[in-house]
Amino acid sequence: MLYAFLCYHDEDAMLAWSAEEGAAVMAGLGRVCDRLGEEGRMGPSLSLMPTTAATTLIKGKDLVLDGPYAETKEALLGFYVIDCDSLEHALAVARELGEANACGAYEIRPVRLFEPGVALDVKDRV
Amino acid sequence: MLYAFLCYNNEQRVMSWTKAEDDAVMAKLDVVHQRLAKEGRFGPALRLVASTAATTLVKEKDLVLDGPYAETKEALLGFYVIDCDSREHALSIARELGEANPGGAYEIRAVRLFVPGVQLTEEQIADVEAVGA
Repeated sequence: MLYAFLCYHDEDAMLAWSAEEGAAVMAGLGRVCDRLGEEGRMGPSLSLMPTTAATTLIKGKDLVLDGPYAETKEALLGFYVIDCDSLEHALAVARELGEANACGAYEIRPVRLFEPGVALDVKDRV
Repeated sequence: MLYAFLCYNNEQRVMSWTKAEDDAVMAKLDVVHQRLAKEGRFGPALRLVASTAATTLVKEKDLVLDGPYAETKEALLGFYVIDCDSREHALSIARELGEANPGGAYEIRAVRLFVPGVQLTEEQIADVEAVGA
């Protein structure tokens, strides 16, 4: 079953990381993600620009607001889509990712419908 | 530039749609999805099971909580990843999607890093939570 892992972090703490600190976290996460990739479980994942770059459209009113829909203590800064055998398995994966990136929380949500979309040209987007 | 569109909506209302109502919204959305796919802009998209099925792991305390991380007036029920030329373009696509699926809000977030992952099999994609169960 596919699960979405929504990554909530203290945005100020993350943005204050030095390049070395950021690279160390990404390397640790990379090891977990590579293994999940080898197991054929690792779907798309992404990290988002800070919530200061967010724009929200309230549909009924066509109201455009600067900022995220909800102000939360920690901000939604990314997500993973991972094929897990069960919620227990998803929690074990979340703990592994959490060892690589210790702050914040993961919200684990079962997926109801997944559309892979087209292959995006992502070479110039990193 | 890639944008993530986070879809917030009134969960009770969306979950109370009949299958016919749900199918009608999805059919209207699909017209927009198909056009964006033809343009090569339509990345992965997904619908989440209701936030009542969420589990949250607070990492440092290893605390496992039932429910979403944040209780919001409208719940995060899905997201899109779409390649847009600009924020204005992203807003125009959000308005189009909103015509197909009125109510709620889209939070539009620029993507910092996108990793496509492995190609999930049809079997993996089909193995999702039964709708309306």
